Amino acid sequence: MTKRKMFLRMITASLLRRRSRMLIALLSIAVGATILSGLVTIYYDVPRQMGAQFRSYGANMILLADGKTEMTSESLEKALGLIPESELVGAAPYRYVRLDMPSRQQSFTGAGTDFEQVLKTSPYFSVEGEYPVNAREILIGREIAETIGAKTGSSLELSYKPAAVISENAEQDRHSGASLSGSAEGFNKVPLTANVELDEEGRIASIEVDASSQTPGIGSMVGTDKAFLDQFIGKTLPLRLSGSGSGSGESEGGDSEDNPAQEVDAVTGATVSSQAVVDALNSAVSSEKAAAIENTEHFTVTGILSTGGEEESYIYMTLKDLQRLTGEETLDVAELSVSADAEELEQYAGAVAESNLGITARLVKRVTRSEASVLGKLQALVFLVTVVVLLLTMICVSTTMMAVVSERRREIGLRKALGASDQSIRKEFLGEGVFLGGLGGILGGILGFVFAQVVSVNVFGSSITLQPLLLPITILASIAIAALSCQLPIRRAVAIDPAIVLKGE
Amino acid sequence: MALLELKNISKIYGDLKALDNVSIKVDKGEWVAIMGPSGSGKSTMMNIIGCMDKPSMGEVLLDGVDISKESQKKLTDIRRDKIGLIFQQFHMVTYLTAVENVMVSQYYHSMPDEEEALEALGRVGLRERAKHLPSQLSGGEQQRVCVARALINHPELILADEPTGNLDEANENIVLDLFRQLHNEGTTLIVVTHDPEVAEAAQRTIVLEHGRVAREVINENFGK
Ligand SMILES: Nc1ncnc2c1ncn2[C@@H]1O[C@H](COP(=O)(O)OP(=O)(O)OP(=O)(O)O)[C@@H](O)[C@H]1O
Ligand SMILES: [Mg+2]
Repeated sequence: MTKRKMFLRMITASLLRRRSRMLIALLSIAVGATILSGLVTIYYDVPRQMGAQFRSYGANMILLADGKTEMTSESLEKALGLIPESELVGAAPYRYVRLDMPSRQQSFTGAGTDFEQVLKTSPYFSVEGEYPVNAREILIGREIAETIGAKTGSSLELSYKPAAVISENAEQDRHSGASLSGSAEGFNKVPLTANVELDEEGRIASIEVDASSQTPGIGSMVGTDKAFLDQFIGKTLPLRLSGSGSGSGESEGGDSEDNPAQEVDAVTGATVSSQAVVDALNSAVSSEKAAAIENTEHFTVTGILSTGGEEESYIYMTLKDLQRLTGEETLDVAELSVSADAEELEQYAGAVAESNLGITARLVKRVTRSEASVLGKLQALVFLVTVVVLLLTMICVSTTMMAVVSERRREIGLRKALGASDQSIRKEFLGEGVFLGGLGGILGGILGFVFAQVVSVNVFGSSITLQPLLLPITILASIAIAALSCQLPIRRAVAIDPAIVLKGE
Repeated sequence: MALLELKNISKIYGDLKALDNVSIKVDKGEWVAIMGPSGSGKSTMMNIIGCMDKPSMGEVLLDGVDISKESQKKLTDIRRDKIGLIFQQFHMVTYLTAVENVMVSQYYHSMPDEEEALEALGRVGLRERAKHLPSQLSGGEQQRVCVARALINHPELILADEPTGNLDEANENIVLDLFRQLHNEGTTLIVVTHDPEVAEAAQRTIVLEHGRVAREVINENFGK
């Protein structure tokens, strides 16, 4: 048997036959190595992960109509063409409208979009259920789901009224508290305009007529004759001029026939202009009525959206569904996720502005700028945690080995009495330390990968690739840490006096 | 010819003179017993002879070399090469088997040789128990392993501090028989003991009192 074999036999026997103590040291090294390899993996993966995360985090560029022209799918397509395809991670178009839920007499913000793109530009969207795929499927925000008690699979009736675009008055009925205005041809086919304010019940509260275009002193009187104008107050539209048989042909007010409450008397000598005022008002209400023709459809909820933000109070559907429901092709905004630095983004924004597509590009600067600093801070934090964990590991291993040395005082004394040199003692303890370090390193390296994978999947939502070099590096680092931790205990061991074996301890 | 010669050695701990101007001579192949009341300095003397301690004063000549002036490292070498130690408390490496314990001594001395170690165990009648851990051996058996370990490297001098102090009569006789064999092979033996019977087995008994040599007794009956 060679000396080396005996050496290995001694240290393995020491480790295997004195398991409980060594297990603690092994465990602390393994934990340290796990954290080390796990965090190093994350450390190197964080930029990649976070980069992708930030690039798409709520998008870093936003395209909007410039206010003169409306944005459509076609103009958006052209604008996107100005950004290199390889750098465009995703571009989600949005159209926001007011949608009513007749069953609950409530209104919500509806958004039409392209869910495939949303996945890329808003990866933080957390959907319980599925994203809509087919026609008449919707994704509703958690807040809405809670308010109306909807679940995935629920069917909802939604309607759209063009006049009721999201505005302050949208909650109120169209015929109440609103103001209407219309115009009609008066004398010599010159148009005049009339405005009325309606009260809560839809009765006329006030009226204003601009008849300055009519014959001065005659036709223009319809705008100033108080007796004439006062007749309108308290009445509901549509109206007709008394003695004129019926109102304007456009009026559908069959119920107003023969009802004196629906009649007003003309200003003497200005019948044509008076008729024009009535026509103007009736046309106003009839165009309102036309607008009031609601487009109602049934939708199936496929998923509930949680974002922690205002999106939770929106109803999302495909752009196609929304366009069919509203009959409009306009887009309000497009959120872009571009994999480029601030300078390049600026450049693309400029290109979009100069393209005369009627689209302006805005950079979401807060995110792009913080990207670097957040990354740096995160890496520093990971680094710090790693250092602290390694220090703790060293303290733990060192303490354990210290306890081992005092536990084995007599044995060390005996070895020395038997002729072991300081060098041999050092070698034996270091051997045990290296063995522990190696074993702990292998264990920790494997566990670390699992740990990093779990963290990555849970925090970043993507898996990491195994760095083949990391395992040997972890093992070497663990050995180095174990060896370093053993230095103080070894010094203690070497200092033990062999004479103790002759003292009856 | 003297293998060991202590010349006027003293060991002083503070005010206490554990050894006080002691001079003794031990010839090659001689078997000497050392007796004395507790605290008389027997172990102190053994430590010095065993190269594990140095005297405060005086010279220690081992094989003609003054070991009282040597460095720690050199003392370790001398101890490894020339001395076999046997202790009252057995002192085995608890996590190594009997044969491995013997091999530890070989390991530090030269080369571990399992065959030879097994032979040595056979000599102390423990060949069958070679694979047992110390916890699985009785006190007497453990002490016999220690004897095997002490003789494995064929030391010139075997130092035993109360080798039979914890043994029963039967085991004591086994150990004494082993000593006789070693003596017959020419090994020099210095045995510290409280037991008159063990002392009587030796050729000469040196009695220490208060760190001084009180008297020396030649065993008239030796070998009979
Ligand atoms: N390291 C030390 N420091 C101080 N005093 C010591 C030391 N070692 C031994 N002594 C003292 O020296 C004296 C002799 O001790 P020693 O161990 O040699 O006695 P001994 O003859 O072996 O006794 P025993 O028969 O009880 O083993 C004792 O009084 C002891 O207290
Ligand atoms: Mg003693």
